[in-house]
Amino acid sequence: MAILNITYQGLSADYELELDFAASDEDIRRIAVEVVRSGGVRGLHVAQLPVNAFDQFVIDRLRAADGAQRIYLRPKVPFGA
Amino acid sequence: MRIVICGVGALGSTAVQYCRNLEAELRLVDFDRVESKNLAAQWFVKQSLGKNKAEAVRLQLANFYGAKAEAMGVRLAATNAAQLLADCGLAVDCFDNADSRLAVAAAAATAGVPLVHAALAADGTFGLVRWDERFVPDREDTAGQATCEGGEHLPMIGLVGATLARAIQDFVRGGDRHDYMISLSGVSRTA
Repeated sequence: MAILNITYQGLSADYELELDFAASDEDIRRIAVEVVRSGGVRGLHVAQLPVNAFDQFVIDRLRAADGAQRIYLRPKVPFGA
Repeated sequence: MRIVICGVGALGSTAVQYCRNLEAELRLVDFDRVESKNLAAQWFVKQSLGKNKAEAVRLQLANFYGAKAEAMGVRLAATNAAQLLADCGLAVDCFDNADSRLAVAAAAATAGVPLVHAALAADGTFGLVRWDERFVPDREDTAGQATCEGGEHLPMIGLVGATLARAIQDFVRGGDRHDYMISLSGVSRTA
């Protein structure tokens, strides 16, 4: 099981995703839209979330210090200076 | 320890403020000049207008806090990266484009210098502080995409810059390499 973290419009929340860590990016984006729309992600409920809301988002697959598998769905971060 | 800060615009100049009391020598790299539009979102004052950004930050550190730094008013490229990173124990990437981020990452890897990146989303709602071993630079959706110049995102710039400074501080003190994710929900340590 992997934990999915979704960040959207400045809000960020975890969702315990019973999914293979290697699930495709397309699957993760589709599932994220569904769970955010349905209110399944505590603190991040957008009933009218567009189906393409996460199309330009980045997916990071990282292993936490405690060994847990975490998937991050986040906006791009191109800027710094 | 000497720390090279690559890019002292929004995130870089902000983070440098909070690194001023570190037991480290700061080397500031930026080819750009301070424009009036920068005053809204970057740590520059009116007296710095027209100056090279690295030199402007160096002067502000000296004048406001008596802190010393070294200014390198050049563009980091493959041809000079080794020289700019020479004798450094840490590199910090605050550049605003993927190509420059890749250039500093390649140079740091070659020189064996640890590298931490800081990056901000275009809409100012999200940022990352991430060490190079877990970082892949994101490209703009469109070339010339609007950034943070209007000052609208100054609080988030401050939050990401301060988080970067904390990551630098932790590394200088104990060699820790913590990653952070910054959103309007708060700051989360992710590694």
